[in-house]
Amino acid sequence: MENTNQTLLDVRDLRISFFTDEGEVRAVDGISFSMKPGETLAVVGESGSGKSVTAMALTRLVPSPPARYLGGEIIFKGRDTLKLSPEELRRVRGAQISYIFQEPSTSLNPVFQIRSQIAEAIELHRRDVKDVDAEAERLLTLVGIRDARLRMGDYPHQLSGGMQQRVMIAMALACNPSLLVADEPTTALDVTIQAQIMELLKELKQKLGMAIMLITHNFSIVADIADNIAVMFRGKIVEYGPTQRVLHEPQHPYTKALLECIPRLGAHKHRLKTINHAEIEAALGR
Amino acid sequence: MTATAANSAALAAKPQTLWSTAWRQFRRNRLAAACLWIIVIYVGIWLYAESVYWTAYLRDVVPSYKVTDFDARNAAPSLRHWLGTDFTGRDNVAQLIQGVRIAFEIAILSSAILIPLGFLLGALAGYFGRWVDNAIIWLYSVVDSVPSILSIISISYVVGRGMKGIVIGMGLVAWVGLCRLIRGEYLKHKQRAYVAAARALGAGHLTVMLRHIAPNVLHIVIITFTLLFPRFILTEVILSYLGVGIANEPSWGVMINDAKQRLWLGVWWELGGATAAMFFLVLALNIVGDALRDALDPKLKTAEGSAT
Amino acid sequence: MTAYIIRRLLTVIPITLGVLLLVFFIYRVIGGDPAARLAGKNATPQKIEQIRKQYGFDKPKFFNWQEAAKTGSPAAAFDSQFWHLVGQFAQLDFGKSLQSNQRISRMLADGVVPSLCVTTPIFLVELSVAIALALICAFYRGTRIDRTFVVVSIVAMSISGLVYIMMGQYFFAFRLRWFPVWGFESPAFLLLPVAIGVIAGIGGSLRFYRTIMLDEMYQDYVRTAFAKGCSQREVLFKHVLKNAAIPILTNVVVAIPFLYTGSLMLESFFGIPGLGRMTVDAIYTGDEPVLFAMVFIGSVIFVIANLVTDLLYTWADPRIRLQ
Repeated sequence: MENTNQTLLDVRDLRISFFTDEGEVRAVDGISFSMKPGETLAVVGESGSGKSVTAMALTRLVPSPPARYLGGEIIFKGRDTLKLSPEELRRVRGAQISYIFQEPSTSLNPVFQIRSQIAEAIELHRRDVKDVDAEAERLLTLVGIRDARLRMGDYPHQLSGGMQQRVMIAMALACNPSLLVADEPTTALDVTIQAQIMELLKELKQKLGMAIMLITHNFSIVADIADNIAVMFRGKIVEYGPTQRVLHEPQHPYTKALLECIPRLGAHKHRLKTINHAEIEAALGR
Repeated sequence: MTATAANSAALAAKPQTLWSTAWRQFRRNRLAAACLWIIVIYVGIWLYAESVYWTAYLRDVVPSYKVTDFDARNAAPSLRHWLGTDFTGRDNVAQLIQGVRIAFEIAILSSAILIPLGFLLGALAGYFGRWVDNAIIWLYSVVDSVPSILSIISISYVVGRGMKGIVIGMGLVAWVGLCRLIRGEYLKHKQRAYVAAARALGAGHLTVMLRHIAPNVLHIVIITFTLLFPRFILTEVILSYLGVGIANEPSWGVMINDAKQRLWLGVWWELGGATAAMFFLVLALNIVGDALRDALDPKLKTAEGSAT
Repeated sequence: MTAYIIRRLLTVIPITLGVLLLVFFIYRVIGGDPAARLAGKNATPQKIEQIRKQYGFDKPKFFNWQEAAKTGSPAAAFDSQFWHLVGQFAQLDFGKSLQSNQRISRMLADGVVPSLCVTTPIFLVELSVAIALALICAFYRGTRIDRTFVVVSIVAMSISGLVYIMMGQYFFAFRLRWFPVWGFESPAFLLLPVAIGVIAGIGGSLRFYRTIMLDEMYQDYVRTAFAKGCSQREVLFKHVLKNAAIPILTNVVVAIPFLYTGSLMLESFFGIPGLGRMTVDAIYTGDEPVLFAMVFIGSVIFVIANLVTDLLYTWADPRIRLQ
């Protein structure tokens, strides 16, 4: 616990595989990274690169089987979450590390009111809170939902996608987590709503000072929020460093390729690049 | 270097059709593969039973399984009669083998009614929509409203005891499930680009329905057939019990019902044999049907549960 | 919402008429001449003719155009077998049994209680046991425990219900004498039939409910619940069960007609004077009016149950309720 001030999360040589009838699929293949309190780390990669599995693995949310945690350590606040008992793990989930997901419409339970879904998060970890409703209302207001008191009686399907994601965020913030894992938080949303949600995350980060791990395939949303970037390709981190350096002086061919995919205003290109995997594999020397 | 890379290379090299991927997935289910072998054995027995039946029929003699022996009535299992004999001294094993024939005949003939019926109505409803759809939905809602065992009994009853009644009864009732599924698929497929393309090239509705869409929904027919087969067998037993089953031929249902009184005298081999013969086929079909569904169309919502 | 309920209520009319039409079609069209069937195999033509007159089988089946043309009144067109039946059934008059000459409506009323005495406990026990086991399967999904349950339930489903009954009656009532063999005198007489009914049906129900539960287990909201810090138990009993309640509800209501029609085989094997046994007897004796009424009423109850399900659906599922 002493090193809390230096490092919040230290992942070392994490390896996770899925064993299917086809053989072993190495979803996460020996990755290491660390985060300081309040830091924002963007993990960028295509779908299937292992970034979501990494995020979920922080609190062992990837069901096992089919996944197997083959090795490595996930030191969070001085303790290895891979070694925690299910009981201890539950006290980390939602309380210290909380999540928001890609599909807010299916990630909220359709048959419960917003009120009870947020209340559940509070009741699970903050027994001392007396007026749960008031607290839920405060959280909803915090994430920018107007008329929070009225909205609390709504069911998820009565809200728009952007509003649903705000509810998810409110739920995630219910216990003042030290790390918020946002797994593709804007992918399922309209472009204008995407911007609003990113703006909200930035604002909350400043206000609450929690660390954010932002999982995305989209380089264009990370530039003005992330402190560091880790680029994942086929289960490995192929590039890891401060945001400005990664964006402006990418070292790895895959990072370069990803960056070239971003459409830029004013760039006179006729076609967007696509990623040639054979070329990258060759560069990796496989 | 990694298995992932090797796999994806292999995946990219070989064109994957629905059937080949499904077959690979099916084979991986070892239990289902074993059950497929059980079914193959039953098919062998069925063909053998047909040959016994038709040889006797063409020669105009009493087939061996019907030969009675009043000196050896209700005989216990022995080397000569592995499962003993029934109340007229007929060999139980020979009768069980004919039971395989009856079970296959019922399943195939009933399916010969229900598959064209269900497929065609489902395709028409899904493809044309509007009033055609409404009419067909009404029709299957009506048929579905009558508890199926009661409607099968009614039809078998009015048609008269025997194969014809059973087959017509099951054929005219069991098409609803298939019709629903096919209708859903056609609704989905008619929105697809390939249908629009075929129409644009001048293909008529019938061509689109049967030549273009039908091959894409054929797997549902196979799944439905495999899952209905065991239900036909189990229903036949009930019909036999109610006296509207097979007449003059040794079906499993008839055997189980005949064994009813003699069980109390301690004659268990007749019941045991028929139950076992039925059990392995029904079990194998259930498991293979499930595996086929999982391999071909895991999202398919086939009817489950029982109605006895 | 109200408009939906009214529309849904109205669909009962064409479906019920359709059911009557279907049952009519089975008993008066598919099977050939009903008079000949009722008269029996060796009946004289005079006898058949007499029965035809007596039951009105000599009238046209659907519309009496001849009569309408003759009298010039359109109402006369409805002087047909089918429309007479509609009129009769609308007054809950199902005619008389050929065997006992009792009013069928009376027989139906008498048979319902014994049937419910057997089917209701079977239904309730099977439902609760199946749901409990399905939850266990969901809890241990992918493990050996779950797979064992799946295999056992498929095995159980692959044995004929008749075999369960015969074996159960033989061993537990006849050989071991734990239960009475036959009759309907005290609750003790119900124990064995109920137990057999549950065992024969549990495999199918378990598989059904397990599929529902597992479908829910792989939904995104379950992941969210785990990410919040819910335990397996909380996820299953709170999140999953409430979502699964909707499809479970459907299945439960749709099963209700089978409570009414009773269990054909159980009742006749154990001598329970319910509607199932009445149906079986009617088949044996060729008591067509009884069969006709039984099939029709069984279907009407199904139609009503379906209606109730849909209405319950709108109440239980906020996604539908609030539209």
